[in-house]
Amino acid sequence: MGWVTEEHPTDQELDACVQCGLCLPLCPTFRLTGKETASPRGRLQAMNAVRDGLFEVDETFEHIMDFCLGCRACEPVCPGMVPYGRALEGTRAEIVAQRPSASHRLRAFLLGSLLGSRGTLNVGSTLLGFAQMLRLTELAPRRYRRLTSGLRPLRGRSDASVGHSGGSGAAGSVGLLSGCVQDQWFRPTNRAAIELLEMAGYRVEAPLAQTCCGALAAHDGKAPEARSLAAINTPAFDGYDMIVATAAGCSAHLREYAHWADDGESVGSRSIDITVAIAEAIERGLLPRVETDNGEIGIQDPCHLRHAQRVTAEPRAILEAAGYQVVEIDPAGMCCGAAGLYTILQPEASQELGNQKAEQIRSTGVKRVASANSGCEMQMRSALGDEVEIRHPIEWYLDAIEAARTRVNVAAVKDPS
Amino acid sequence: MSLVDDLRSALSHDRVLEEPLELHLYSKDASMMRGEATCVVLTETTDEVAAVVRIAEDHRVPIVARGAGTGLTAGASPTEGGIVLSTTLMNDIEIDVDNRTAWVGAGVINLDLSTYAEPYGLHFAPDPSSQSVCTIGGNVANNSGGAHCLAEGATTSHVLGLEVVLAGGEVVVLGGEAPDSPGLDIKGIIVGSEGTLGIVTSALVRLLPLDPDVRTLLIDFETMEEATQTVSDMIAAGFVPAALEIMDQKMMVAVENWLHAGFPTDAAAMLLAEVVGETEAVTAEAALISEMAYKNNARGVELAEDEAHRAKLWKGRKSAFGALAQISPDYYLHDTVVPRSRLVETMDEVQQIADRYGLDVYNVFHAGDGNLHPLISFDASEEGMLDKVQRAGEEMVAACLRNGGALSGEHGIGLEKRDMMRASFTELDLDAQARLKEAFDPEGLFNPAKILPEGSRCFDFGGTRRPIPEGAWV
Ligand SMILES: Cc1cc2nc3c(=O)[nH]c(=O)nc-3n(C[C@H](O)[C@H](O)[C@H](O)COP(=O)(O)OP(=O)(O)OC[C@H]3O[C@@H](n4cnc5c(N)ncnc54)[C@H](O)[C@@H]3O)c2cc1C
Ligand code: SF4
Ligand code: SF4
Repeated sequence: MGWVTEEHPTDQELDACVQCGLCLPLCPTFRLTGKETASPRGRLQAMNAVRDGLFEVDETFEHIMDFCLGCRACEPVCPGMVPYGRALEGTRAEIVAQRPSASHRLRAFLLGSLLGSRGTLNVGSTLLGFAQMLRLTELAPRRYRRLTSGLRPLRGRSDASVGHSGGSGAAGSVGLLSGCVQDQWFRPTNRAAIELLEMAGYRVEAPLAQTCCGALAAHDGKAPEARSLAAINTPAFDGYDMIVATAAGCSAHLREYAHWADDGESVGSRSIDITVAIAEAIERGLLPRVETDNGEIGIQDPCHLRHAQRVTAEPRAILEAAGYQVVEIDPAGMCCGAAGLYTILQPEASQELGNQKAEQIRSTGVKRVASANSGCEMQMRSALGDEVEIRHPIEWYLDAIEAARTRVNVAAVKDPS
Repeated sequence: MSLVDDLRSALSHDRVLEEPLELHLYSKDASMMRGEATCVVLTETTDEVAAVVRIAEDHRVPIVARGAGTGLTAGASPTEGGIVLSTTLMNDIEIDVDNRTAWVGAGVINLDLSTYAEPYGLHFAPDPSSQSVCTIGGNVANNSGGAHCLAEGATTSHVLGLEVVLAGGEVVVLGGEAPDSPGLDIKGIIVGSEGTLGIVTSALVRLLPLDPDVRTLLIDFETMEEATQTVSDMIAAGFVPAALEIMDQKMMVAVENWLHAGFPTDAAAMLLAEVVGETEAVTAEAALISEMAYKNNARGVELAEDEAHRAKLWKGRKSAFGALAQISPDYYLHDTVVPRSRLVETMDEVQQIADRYGLDVYNVFHAGDGNLHPLISFDASEEGMLDKVQRAGEEMVAACLRNGGALSGEHGIGLEKRDMMRASFTELDLDAQARLKEAFDPEGLFNPAKILPEGSRCFDFGGTRRPIPEGAWV
C-alpha cells in the first residue's frame, strides 16, 4: 500500500542513507538488543521497503518503529545527514493512519484529553499532589508508578507561570513557553527562568493564549493535533524578540515549527532553549558568575538538547558560572530511556536504560545532577530515588546566586561591627 | 522439527528472527548486493554457535556470519539464503594487561575494545574507518586494515589466536600466546577467509601501548601529483609515518558540508599525515614532513592544535564514504592497491573511465600503501545506471591490475569481486584455494558462493557455485 498521508518520509530523506552503519553504536535500542531491526539503519531500511512497496505497514513494522526512542542520537553522527527524527515522525503518522490499534488509543487519551487542556491538567495535577501526599501513587499500576515516582512533590506549588508578565525589557523581550506538563509539574524551573531572564534585563511574558507546543503529539504521529497546536502558538508568540522553552523537548520542537505551521518559520527562527538564553546572558555579562566553590555536579544531556539541537556547551557554562565543577556522566550521551511516552509504552527497555544511566551516575559519586529536561529528570529520579538531587541547570544556578547574595549580605552586616 | 523450531530450542525464542520484514533488514551489508535470509539467529556463546552449525548441517542450509554488516563486498549478504548468524551479542572482553593481550568476543566493536583498553594504557591498532561500528569478527574475516595500519600492519598482524567453530560444530582454538605455534599456521588461514571456512567466536589479540605523543598534519596541495609525490618521497627516504591519507577536492567539499572540520576545500588534494612516538621524535618528524611537503609545492601545512582538533580531522577522514550520501543515494566503492609510483596515472585512468561513462568519481585513500578507494556516486533508481556503474567499476579494477595492482587492499572479495578473481589468479591458484575450502567445509555450507568464482575447482562437475544471481544487485 505504501504511504497514505502527506507526512510520510520523503524520498530525499530516505535516499540520504547509504547504510554505512556509523549510527549503530550510538543507538540505545541497538546497544540493548544487538539487533539490526532495532537500529537506525534497519529502521530506515524498513521505511524504504514500505516506500518501495515490498512490505506493508504491518504489525512487525509497527513494533520496529515503536521500539525506537526517537532520541535522535543517530543524527549528529550520520555523515549523510539523514534527518532521522523527521522521517520517524512521518512514519509514526503513517502508522497512526494505517493501523488504528490499542496502543494508539492509550496514547490518544494521554495526549488528547490530558495535555491539550490546561484545566484538566491543573485539576489532575492537584489530585496527583494529594495522592502523593497520601502515598496513593504507590498503588498505581507498575508502568505508571515509575512515572509518578519520578515526580517532584506537587503540593504547595508556586503559581503557574502562564499569564506572567514582568521585567524591564532593557535587554529585549521574551515569550516564555510555559509548557503543558512543565508548568504543572516543574513550576520551579519556569519560575527560575522568569527570575533569571528578568534579572538579565528581559521583559518576560508567558502569554495566556499559548498551548502545549505539540512535541509529544508530533513524535507520536498525531500530525493533525501537532498542527493545530502549532497554529494556536504561532500567533500567541508573535512579536517577542525570542521565544524560550524550559524543557529541551519543547525547545527542539519549537525550533522545527517551520514544518508544523504556515508561519512557523517565524517561531522556529526566534526559539531557543533556556540554557542557551541564560548561557548567552552570562557570556554578555548580564548575569553574574558566582565565585564560591560549590563542589561537583554531574551533567546529563537530554537527547533533545544534545542530539536534536547539538547544544552541550551551554548547560556546562551555566553550571560553571554557578561555581560547580562539572562531572561528565556519560560521554556518549545515551538516552536515559524517558523519551516522552516511551516510559509507559515500552516499560522494560525504558527501565533498563534508566538503570544504566543510574549506574553511570552512581559510579561518578556525585550527589547532584543537572538535567535540562523534565522527562529525563523524572526518569533518573525514579531510578535513583533520593540518592541524588536532580534539577535543571538554571535552578542550580539561581540557587547559587541567591546563596552567594545571602553570604554577601551576612558579610555586609558583620563587617561594620 | 522445522529449522526455526530447532533453532529456537537451541537458543531462545527472541533470538531467532523469522518475520519477512526482519529478514529483509538482514539481507545485505553496506555493499550494493542483497540476498535473502531464511532466518536470523543471535548467538551468545560458542556452544550456541556450534549448535547452530549442527542444525544448519542437519537441514542442509548455508550459514552466513554477520558482525556489524559494514562489509563493502556483500560478504555478509545471504545471497544463497540460509541462516544469518549475528555475533553482536558475543561481546565479552578479557584483558591480560601484563601480556598486553585480550580475548575478545567476535561481536565486540573494534573501537569499544580500544576504549575498554585505554585505562590500561593500551589499544587495538587496526583502525578501519568503520572502527566505531565494525566487529573484531568482521575485521578478522576480512583481514581489515585502516589508516594506522601503514606502520602497524593489518588485522592479521595483531591476531595471536582464534577460537573457531568448524564444520560438524567442532570447536577449535588455533594459535595462542606463543609467538609461533607448532605446525601449520591454520589461524593465518582463517584470518581473511570471510566466513567461508568456519565461524570465529573469539580472538586473542595483541594490544599496543598508547602513543606517548602524536602530531597530525593537514597539508594542502594544488595538484594531486604533488600530494602523492610527497608520500612517495617519504617512503623512499625510508620514513614510514603512522598514517598517510589523501582526499581529493570533491570529497573534501562533501565532508566539510557536514562536519566543518576545516579541510581546505579550495585545494586539489589534501594529505593527512600522522606521526606517533616520543615528543622529541614526533616534533622532528613533523618538521621533516613539512619540509618534504613544501619541497613539493605544498600551499600550507597545518598542525592539529589539540586532541579535539585531531579527532575532528580523523572523523572527517573516517566518515568520508557516508558523506557522499548528501550527493546521491548510492555509492560504489572500489578497493584496490597499486604501486605508489603508479598512483597518479592510475587515478587519471580511473577518472577517464568515469568520464567516458558520464559518472562522478571521488577519491579518498590510504596513500601510504597505495590503497586506492575510488568511489562512484550515483542513483540506482535511474534506468540502466547500475549496469553502467558495474561496468565502469570493472574497467577501473582492470586498470588498477594493469598498473601492477591487486584486487583488494582491505575490504575483501566477498561476492562483489568474486568474478574478478580470475583476473588475478591462475586456474591452478584457484583450484588450490577451492581444495582448501573443501577441506574445511566439505558440505559447502559456510558462506557459500563467496570469494571463489564458479568452477574454481579444476574438474568442477557442478557443485553449489553459480554466477552472481540476477537481481542480487540492489
Ligand atoms: C564507512 C565504512 C568505512 C570502511 N572503512 C574500512 C577501512 O578503512 N578499512 C577496511 O579494511 N575496511 C573498511 N570498511 C569495510 C568493513 O567495515 C570492514 O570489512 C569490517 O571489518 C567489516 O566488519 P563487520 O563487523 O561489519 O563485518 P560484516 O560486514 O558483518 O561481515 C564481513 C565479512 O566477515 C564475515 N564475518 C563476520 N563475522 C564473522 C565471524 N565471527 N566469523 C567468521 N566470519 C565472520 C562475514 O561473513 C562477511 O564475509 C569500511 C566500511 C564502511 C561502511
Ligand atoms: S549513519 Fe546515516 S547513512 Fe549511515 S547507516 Fe546511519 S542513517 Fe544511514
Ligand atoms: S532515534 Fe534513538 S532509538 Fe531511534 S533509531 Fe535513532 S538512535 Fe536509535
